[in-house]
Amino acid sequence: MIELLDPTVEANTQSIAYVDRPRSLDGKRVGLIENTKFNSDRLLQMIGEILKAEYGAAETRMFRKHNSSVPAHEEIIREVQKTCDVVVAGIGD
Amino acid sequence: MPVTLTSKRHEVEDPADAIEFCFQRGWTDGLPVIPPTQDRVVRMLEAARLDPKQEIGFIAHRAVSITAEKVAINAVMAGCRPDSMPVVVAAVEGIADLRFSYHGPGTSTAGAGVLMIVNGPIARQLDINAGDNLFGPGWRANLTIGRAVRLVMRNVCGSIPGTLDRGTLGHPGKLSYVIAENEPHSPWTPLHVERGFRPEQSAVTVMAAEAPHQFYNQLSNTAEGILTTLADDMRISGNVMGQPHYALVLAGEHMRTIAGDGWDKQRIRQFVWEHTQNSHAHLKRTQRMAGPAQPGDETTSRPLVASPDDILVVAAGGRAGAFSAYIPGWSSARNSQAVTKEVRR
Repeated sequence: MIELLDPTVEANTQSIAYVDRPRSLDGKRVGLIENTKFNSDRLLQMIGEILKAEYGAAETRMFRKHNSSVPAHEEIIREVQKTCDVVVAGIGD
Repeated sequence: MPVTLTSKRHEVEDPADAIEFCFQRGWTDGLPVIPPTQDRVVRMLEAARLDPKQEIGFIAHRAVSITAEKVAINAVMAGCRPDSMPVVVAAVEGIADLRFSYHGPGTSTAGAGVLMIVNGPIARQLDINAGDNLFGPGWRANLTIGRAVRLVMRNVCGSIPGTLDRGTLGHPGKLSYVIAENEPHSPWTPLHVERGFRPEQSAVTVMAAEAPHQFYNQLSNTAEGILTTLADDMRISGNVMGQPHYALVLAGEHMRTIAGDGWDKQRIRQFVWEHTQNSHAHLKRTQRMAGPAQPGDETTSRPLVASPDDILVVAAGGRAGAFSAYIPGWSSARNSQAVTKEVRR
């Protein structure tokens, strides 16, 4: 009999508190998180226009990450908390 | 004091079953592994004088802690000799460094491997190849150290092909991509000394990288001639628009010719940086740069790398043969940088 040691890690469990999804976008301020990839700003801009025209969103604001490989940086997160109700994050390539 | 290992244990009948069990659990890179038993893992930890609980790295963007115990288990599986463990540990510290920015190169469709360049006395002590057949095969240290790092990426960081490793093509260097600089024969300042270490220190430099591209110059006997060919080969390579890091691997004949003309690494970098620039017109004509043609495009140039310092020059490769290689880094130096870590023993 041979005993093997497991080379993998078990994920640490953590709970993430999500805000309830809004029932409607009517009057909501929409943050658009752009990941710097080519055309990602144009794609998100179009989505923002649709959310305003068809879903009644009040306004959109675009934020640009430092680069596409990292999470949104702290300044963006703080600004989004202050100025947005919902966020759209996406990728364009 | 007995070493306490806390990893989950699995019982199997015999060594052949153990190898099969590791395949079935999805723990391997596609090749058989050495069964990670307690005594082998303990020897690995002892060789690097590490406590199993010690954190070697923390992948911030994945919230994954890489402990010495897990590095040792994967190093055993990769077939490392225990004396290679300090190099594996330094390389893991490198990929966990925020400047390397693990999540991008570890996941990206662009399919980077982790190029590891070993400098200092440990390269000779472990017989890490710096000469003939540089990129393999044939040397245990070169093939097992890189394999260990890749198994850590797979088993600890979750970089499994098809899920969190989404490389479209990948490349053979993703199995192992380890070289040493040929310091005994190099006329130049070693890479780790250029990057802030003393010559007698050992260090490993990690760079998220594409496969090596070999170039030929069997004609010229001058530094300028050889590097002109290199620059012409390299000018359109890698993520042409991204401005990543590059590694230049200059082998025996080219190394001697270039050094014979009195060129040092700084002069090589400067020349290559100046001669690998592309005109905006060419980049637009060849569908690499967006936008309509503008007046002045023919005379406006874009450097392949942002700065000459983003080019790593390494003396390595066989003594004979008028070949050398350039290695494009992944993506962009803004997204991932080469990182050098000391090998501590």
